[in-house]
Amino acid sequence: MKKILLLVAGLAISGMVSAQKSLLSVDENNKYIYYQVVDLPGRTADSLHNNVVLFMKEFYPKEKSLQITSSGASVKDKFLTYTSLVKHENGEMAYALNIECKDGKYRYWITNFVFTPYEKNRYGMFVPVNGVTIPLEKASDKLAKKDVEGYFEQTEAFCKQLGDKLKKYMVEGKTQPKVDKPVKKIVTEKW
Amino acid sequence: MKKILLLLSLFVIVVTSAKAETTAVADTGKVGTTADPKDPPLIFSGSVDTYYKYDFSGHANIPTSFASDQNSVSIGMIDLGLKKKVGKAAFVGELAFGPRGQYQSTPNGDGTTANGTNSFHIQNLYVSYDVTDKLNFTAGYMATFIGYEVISPTGNFNYSTSYLFTSGPFQNAGFKATYAFSDKVSLMAGIFNDNWNVYTAQHDVSTFGAQLFLAPAKGWTAYLNVASGPTSGTIFDLTTAYQITDAFKLGLNAADYSTAHGGLGYQGVALYPQLAVSKTVTFGVRGEYFKVKQGDNITGLTLTSNIKAGALTIIPEVRLDNSNVDTFGFTKGDGTPTKQAGQFVIAAVYAF
Repeated sequence: MKKILLLVAGLAISGMVSAQKSLLSVDENNKYIYYQVVDLPGRTADSLHNNVVLFMKEFYPKEKSLQITSSGASVKDKFLTYTSLVKHENGEMAYALNIECKDGKYRYWITNFVFTPYEKNRYGMFVPVNGVTIPLEKASDKLAKKDVEGYFEQTEAFCKQLGDKLKKYMVEGKTQPKVDKPVKKIVTEKW
Repeated sequence: MKKILLLLSLFVIVVTSAKAETTAVADTGKVGTTADPKDPPLIFSGSVDTYYKYDFSGHANIPTSFASDQNSVSIGMIDLGLKKKVGKAAFVGELAFGPRGQYQSTPNGDGTTANGTNSFHIQNLYVSYDVTDKLNFTAGYMATFIGYEVISPTGNFNYSTSYLFTSGPFQNAGFKATYAFSDKVSLMAGIFNDNWNVYTAQHDVSTFGAQLFLAPAKGWTAYLNVASGPTSGTIFDLTTAYQITDAFKLGLNAADYSTAHGGLGYQGVALYPQLAVSKTVTFGVRGEYFKVKQGDNITGLTLTSNIKAGALTIIPEVRLDNSNVDTFGFTKGDGTPTKQAGQFVIAAVYAF
C-alpha cells in the first residue's frame, strides 16, 4: 500500500513538474519564450494601449530600456533567482517583455532569458559573478541539472505572475486612487 | 553548550523567518527588480569546510593562513551570515566558529586583558544606507577591501592562501562612502581604525582607505586600493580578474606594503589562471612571488582543482614553495633547514 501511495505521489510530482515546464515554448529562433494571446472582446486597441502604458510606467518606472510604440511597448529587466535549501539569491535572470494590442485582444511574450550566477563576496553580499552570462538555452550545457530545473521553474513562475499582473491592468484599466477610510469615532462618555 | 543552544535557536529562527518571507517573495517573483522593488527578505547563508593536509617533510612547514594541521582531518569553520535590507537601510552580520573563523582570522576580544581569550566570532558586522542610487554610506567592522583572496573558503579558488593574503589586512573597521559614477567606475573612500584586524582602535580612527573600481571590458574588473595610516603603515594593492573566455579566467594581485616606522614591509605579485574543463571541474594555478623588504623572498606554485557536486566543492591541491635562502623557516623531516617545502591538501567546502 505504501509503495502504491509513493508511486502515486511520485507520478503526481513528476506531472506537476512537466506541466510547469510546458509554460515555456521555443520560438522560431530556438529561444525560450513565454507567449500568450488574451482576448478582451469589446475593448478597443486604444484603451488597451493606454493600459499597457499604465502598466509599464507603474512596474518599470526607472527602466531606461522601456519603449512605448504606437501598438504596444517593450522593456528589458531582470529578476532574482533563489536557492532551494536556505533561501538566498543565487543569480539573476535577464528577460525582454513585449506587449502588443489590437481591437479586442492583446498579446505579450517574454523571451531572451539570460542567467547570471551570483557569488558571495567578502562583505557577505551576493553579487553577480564577473563576466559570466548564460543564455537559458545553453544552461544545461554549463550548469548542474538540478540547478537548471530550479531556474526553469522560477522563470516559469515569474512569467505567469507577470502575465497575471498585466491582465489585471488590461482588464481593470486605471486603478482608482485609494481613499482613506475615516477612522470610526467612539464616544466613551456614553455607554 | 550554551553557545550550541544559542546557535541552534538562531538557526531555527532564521530559517523559519527566511522561509516565511521568501514564500511571500515567490508570490511576486520580482523582488529587487525594477518591476517590483519590494524589500528583500531576511537572507541567511553560510558555509562549512573541512580538510586534510600532508606536508611532504612530515611536519607543517608552509606558514600561510589556514590548512595548518599536519596529517590530520581538521575543521576550517562554520560561517553563518545574515543580511536584511529595508528601504535604503541594510545590515550584514557574519559569524564564524572554528579555527579558520576565530583565532586564525579574527582577534580575540577587544584588546583588553579581560577579553583576551573571548572570541567575538564576528567576520562582518556593519550597517549601510543608500543616500541616493549612486551614493552609499557604510559603517562597522568589515572584511578588508584589500587583496584578491578572502577568509571564506567559498570566496577562494585555492584552499591554502597566498603570502600576500596572510601578510595583508583581514578586516578594517571604519566608515566608508562609495560613489558609483556608472556600472564601470566607482570610488570608495573611508576612514578606518588605526590598526588592521581590530574590533577596537588602539588610539584613534586614523587609517585612510580608498578603492577605485574599474570595469574596462565585459568580464574584466580591476580594483586599485590604498590604505595608509600613521600606525598601520601604507599598502598599495591591485586586484584584477578577467574572464577572458567562458572557460578561461585570469586573476592578478600585486601589493606593496611599508610599515609606519622602520622602513620594512613587503612586496609581491600573484597570478591566478583558471581553466574550466567541464561544468563541474576547473583547474587553476596560483603562482606567487613574495619579498620581504630588506629580506628574503619566496616563490610559491599551487595547483588546485575545484570539483563541484551541487553545493559541495571538493578541492584537491598540491603546493610547492621555494625560498632563496634556507633560513626562511622550512625544515626537512630531520629538522635541518631547507629552501623548499611542499604539501598536499584535500578540502571539502559546502556552501548554503
